[in-house]
Amino acid sequence: MTDDTMHEELLNAWEDTYKKGQLTLWIFLSLKEGSKYVTELQESIERFSKGTIRAEEQSLYRTLRKFYHLKMVDFSSGKGHKGPDRKYYHLTPLGHTLLQSFVERNILLFFEDPLKKLLLPDSST
Amino acid sequence: MKIFTKNLLIYALLLLTYTLLFRFGLSSMLTAEKWAWVLIIAILYGGIIFVTAWVTGKRDGMENFFFDAGFRWNLTTGIVWGAASEAWFLLNLHSTYEEIRVVHITLMIWSGFLLLHFIIFLILRRRTIKGVHRTDIFE
Repeated sequence: MTDDTMHEELLNAWEDTYKKGQLTLWIFLSLKEGSKYVTELQESIERFSKGTIRAEEQSLYRTLRKFYHLKMVDFSSGKGHKGPDRKYYHLTPLGHTLLQSFVERNILLFFEDPLKKLLLPDSST
Repeated sequence: MKIFTKNLLIYALLLLTYTLLFRFGLSSMLTAEKWAWVLIIAILYGGIIFVTAWVTGKRDGMENFFFDAGFRWNLTTGIVWGAASEAWFLLNLHSTYEEIRVVHITLMIWSGFLLLHFIIFLILRRRTIKGVHRTDIFE
């Protein structure tokens, strides 16, 4: 195995593990931007993550149903282009505060020194 | 929590069919005194129930997010097997080698395991939030 192949395989394996549990964050960030129906949400997640996160429609429906049950998201009906009414999902106040708390505790630390410097590509030895 | 899901009903119907076929096979083989076949159909019956429960339970877990530790499947198996077996005897379809006492003893033992399973479910339920297991909430 060449170093390049090894690098690619390790990176893929790391990303597979890293992405587990990330869907919620992407859903929440997309809904923070504004109410969305499932297809819009799917596109938004892909756009935000620059194509690194792809969510199946069925998986999104299941997750949204679960979040709705747990009062983290709610929906309102809106007109579809041609077909039936669509469910437009949005974050509830609980969803908003949950996202805020999660980001403060787990994401914002990456924007602070010295982590910020370490994350830059030229900061490596 | 939605108790009667589509997958559970499919499982119950399949189990009822298997149990009636098993009862028919068992009574026929006992009457014919074909002992090896009695063992074979009993193993097949157990195996097919296990596979069906596995497949429908897994599918149910993917479609519904409520945690029940498999208790609904266990309870359904007991009820369907018990009802079909009781009916088999009430309709006098059993062989002379079969006794309803065996069905009753099996159901009593099964009830004990069901109670144990239910206690385990109640203990594990403490790790849920509004019926959803903590590890299943965020994906």
